[in-house]
Amino acid sequence: MEKLTKEKIKQGLEVLDAGMDGKLFTHLNSCVHCGLCAESCIYYLAFPEGKFIPATKVDLISSIYRRYITFTGKVVPGLVGARKLNDETIVEITDLFFGACTMCGRCVPHCSIGVDISYLVRKGRQMLAKMGYVPESLQSTINTALKTGNNMGITEQEFIETLKWLEDDLRFEVNDDTACIPLNEKGRNIIYTLNPREPKFFPLSISAMAKIFHVAGESWTLSTQMYDATNYAYYSGNHDEAGIITQYLFDEIQNLEAKTCVLAECGHGSRAFRWEGPNYLKKEYPFEVITSVEILANYIREGRIKVDPEKITECVTLHDPCNLARTGGIWKEQRYILRRSVKNFVEMAPNGIDNLCCGGGGGQLAMSEYNERRMKTGELKAEQIRKTGAKIVVTPCHNCVDQLTQLNITFKLGVQIKTIAEIVADSIVPQDQKVISKNESVEV
Amino acid sequence: MNPYLWFATSALVICLASCFYHFFRLLEFGKPQDYSKPLGEITPAVKYSFTRAMDPRKKESAFLHLPTYTAGIIYHLGTFLSIALFTMFWLKYVPSGWFKLIIIGFLFLSSICGLSILVKRIIKKNLRTLSNPDDYISNFLVTAFHFITALTLVNNKLFPVYFIAAGVLLLYLPIGKLKHTVYFFAARYQLGVFYGRRGVWPPKQEGF
Ligand code: SF4
Ligand code: SF4
Repeated sequence: MEKLTKEKIKQGLEVLDAGMDGKLFTHLNSCVHCGLCAESCIYYLAFPEGKFIPATKVDLISSIYRRYITFTGKVVPGLVGARKLNDETIVEITDLFFGACTMCGRCVPHCSIGVDISYLVRKGRQMLAKMGYVPESLQSTINTALKTGNNMGITEQEFIETLKWLEDDLRFEVNDDTACIPLNEKGRNIIYTLNPREPKFFPLSISAMAKIFHVAGESWTLSTQMYDATNYAYYSGNHDEAGIITQYLFDEIQNLEAKTCVLAECGHGSRAFRWEGPNYLKKEYPFEVITSVEILANYIREGRIKVDPEKITECVTLHDPCNLARTGGIWKEQRYILRRSVKNFVEMAPNGIDNLCCGGGGGQLAMSEYNERRMKTGELKAEQIRKTGAKIVVTPCHNCVDQLTQLNITFKLGVQIKTIAEIVADSIVPQDQKVISKNESVEV
Repeated sequence: MNPYLWFATSALVICLASCFYHFFRLLEFGKPQDYSKPLGEITPAVKYSFTRAMDPRKKESAFLHLPTYTAGIIYHLGTFLSIALFTMFWLKYVPSGWFKLIIIGFLFLSSICGLSILVKRIIKKNLRTLSNPDDYISNFLVTAFHFITALTLVNNKLFPVYFIAAGVLLLYLPIGKLKHTVYFFAARYQLGVFYGRRGVWPPKQEGF
């Protein structure tokens, strides 16, 4: 790890000083050290030590704030626990902010005061990013996205080839030679985005969505230039890089003149583009942004697609991605879909906006140095799943799919992991197709 | 004005001025600009944040820690009662009869609750690691204030001690964590804004 310099300290403190606003000021000053948030955090549940209590993470950043920015902290640092930034604190902060918090936000509504703990951890990561302490593993994923436009470095040719064979499959599956996966079409109603894990490892989820769009008669397109819904710079806290990645997708949506951007099943991608993106770019989007879960629920509700629950009779449970449900407000929609698409849906406990993080959030899957911790925190999720007795675990997030797949193998759960689109595609009732011409649009 | 009352009154003025200073700084910093398109409404979410979101059945910090939570609630009620009594004493009104006895009983109980919270902080390793001197001092000063208020109601010769204790507490309040008196409300408001905008609070009904 690089040595801390005065210049680095200055850059880090800018986040707390120049970047101060009413929200940050409030949360930096609110924790009363009651410690009652401990059991709400997957890290403390997996490792019941003081350093894993959410409040310890709050205190790391607020103690630095007190030391450098408040009068009391400057005059009597010992009294109020104000800490200096030095090489030792940097090691501790990096370990706890990057390696012991998924920014899942579960502790926040449970906090006795209402401190936004995950927001403070994000601020802490932002400080570390300014000082150049983002873990290399996470940074390399970001660098790939910056360089190639997608975090897996998939070439355009490779991507198009994958889509072409998926299109052949689609035609066969829906028994319609006109069925297609439209590429780079201008003026469509929808531009659909992907998590690059889909073309790379899980192409079936692309087929599933293409099938649904086809049956719904949707006017849609994929971009072969810029389709990545993820933004790992949201996790690193580097707002400049997060802004560049957001701009890539923004420009492509504008370029293709799409009315609505539908975000792939990706928790952090949804959050990064829908909620944080406009703030990275400092402007409102001139187009609509919704998640694929919302559009699927709308299709069913409006009767644009029909689903038959008799097609999926196994017991199905649902894992809510934190960034989609707890901080994105989307958790009733997936239940609406599942209650209509499968015969036997059971909830895990707790669920919805109180769900436990799977352990793979916050960029943990991109930081191999924390693998051991990730699997230990993930064991809580594995136990939740086991208790439901489900044979299929559905989650509208490819990051969660990845973590759940690893948990499935490690803890021998014997379940299938699926996305919402895959479930809907499996239970969909074929309808008479109508082909959407390039200029025709269907309101979402 | 006797010197003890004068000391406590000056402390009150300083305390209120500091609290207002914290409050106005909060306002001065202003809201962060948010360019995202809201999915929900802020006002009902802020209301929810101050009401149903505080329901102890919903918060693990409450239902997983019932003894501490209960002690904390009694302790805070004791603090509100002590503040109310301070105002009464200042206005030269001292409760009497059954009313006084009930107040004394409640303040002894809240002192015990405060003490138990302090002892918990001292003996629990995880809490000790989390704590700094301010945590112990704040807890001690408030607990002592409840206790001295109760004793003063029993024996009004203790008024000088009472006003000194009140003055020390009021002077200390804006320095350490006791200033959560101001920030608690700001934090609940900020949470309401955040979850409201994103359509998380108040929780949606089935069928969305
Ligand atoms: S519950 Fe909230 S106030 Fe209490 S220690 Fe945790 S973060 Fe701080
Ligand atoms: S945000 Fe999640 S992982 Fe981070 S401290 Fe809170 S509960 Fe733990």
